[in-house]
Amino acid sequence: MTKEEIIASGLLELYVTDSLSRQDIQLVEEAIAKYPDLISEIEEIERSLMVLSEEVGGKVSDEIWDKIQGQTNNIRHIDKAPPKRSMGALTGWAAAILCFLGLFWMIKNNSDLKEQLRYSNTQNKVLQEKVDIQGIQLTEASELLEMVRSQDFEAINLPGNEAVSPSSYATVYYNAKENLAYIDAKGLPVPPNGKVYQVWSLKMEPLTPSSVGLLTNFEDTESRFFKVENIPTPEAFGITLEPKGGSESPSLDQLYALGTIAP
Amino acid sequence: MTQPDHLIKEIQHGNEKAFSSIYEMYSGAIHGVIFTILKDQSLTEEVLQDVFVKVWNNSQSYTLGKGRFYTWLLNIARNTAIDRLRSKDYKNARKNLSTENFVDIISGHDNLSGKMDAIGIKKFVEALKPICIQIIDLLYFKGFTQAETAKELNSPLGTIKTRARNCMNELRNLVLEK
Repeated sequence: MTKEEIIASGLLELYVTDSLSRQDIQLVEEAIAKYPDLISEIEEIERSLMVLSEEVGGKVSDEIWDKIQGQTNNIRHIDKAPPKRSMGALTGWAAAILCFLGLFWMIKNNSDLKEQLRYSNTQNKVLQEKVDIQGIQLTEASELLEMVRSQDFEAINLPGNEAVSPSSYATVYYNAKENLAYIDAKGLPVPPNGKVYQVWSLKMEPLTPSSVGLLTNFEDTESRFFKVENIPTPEAFGITLEPKGGSESPSLDQLYALGTIAP
Repeated sequence: MTQPDHLIKEIQHGNEKAFSSIYEMYSGAIHGVIFTILKDQSLTEEVLQDVFVKVWNNSQSYTLGKGRFYTWLLNIARNTAIDRLRSKDYKNARKNLSTENFVDIISGHDNLSGKMDAIGIKKFVEALKPICIQIIDLLYFKGFTQAETAKELNSPLGTIKTRARNCMNELRNLVLEK
């Protein structure tokens, strides 16, 4: 619509009296934005209607303004202002409560996290210990492997004694250079209470046994590997079951395994 | 009239002087609108009072640039007066309901506001066509919508606008001449 069409349509008159539909109000407001001149048209319509109703109403009593002032003062200071303040206070309280709840939540979260951290630390320690143990075991295993492969060591099989323990066996890894040996006692049964295995180095002609060592803590040594040192030049190795603490000479009726070194 | 936007803003910030100026500008017209609805001087004064107290307390609900301030004021006045019309107070005060419209009221006046050439207005409204009297009465003083007015007058929706335009244009020429 052009500006003139808007003016002639009567839309502006109904805009002032607030008789238009929402859609038409929007139409007028868009037209005003497009043609700002329309404002003066609207102002004239407004003014003429105001003059008309001023004539209808006649003179307004001066007392009315005094009464309005009396009411607005009261309303402003007693009714209007306090709700605003209480609204602010309410918001303040709400914020404070939220803050408090937030704080509480954070403290709780924090203690939960601390608990988790403690648990993780313990877990870590346990794992570290396992790793340490496995490290030690690995070192042991590689040492053993090294030893078995080494040319310095000679492996001597000690088959079980048919008369005492036919299913037993043992292996001695003997290092003549360093005069030491490892005894692999995996094939021996766990000794009964109060008894201990004793290893002997033997010379055959004549049969001279010398004690090399005791396989103490047999049950607790999982690898069943034992180191013995200062071995008198042997021709054979024997293992007997002796009373706790060992014996001066071997109890031959308790000879579990025996093996000779190949010449 | 030019809308005093700066005064309206001041009222919204609680300026009582601005409120006094606004009352000065608009109270006469609003008084006439309320009186046309209630036709009782003391009730009109009470309602006028109520209306301006509402304006002061609810000034924030008017948005500058969204519609005319006078239109906003007019709505408050018409609604407050119509509410009073339905109340017990009104029924007790007005035992004999008259069917006077603004023309009858102006014709019956002898103490006019003196702001305009009272004789001119009087002559003008007395010469208004009955349809114009109805249109202005319903749209302006009673706050009918275009659709409600069309229904009330049994005429097509579009003609309400053109009639309003023609009827109010004459009034405008008269007022602006002065």
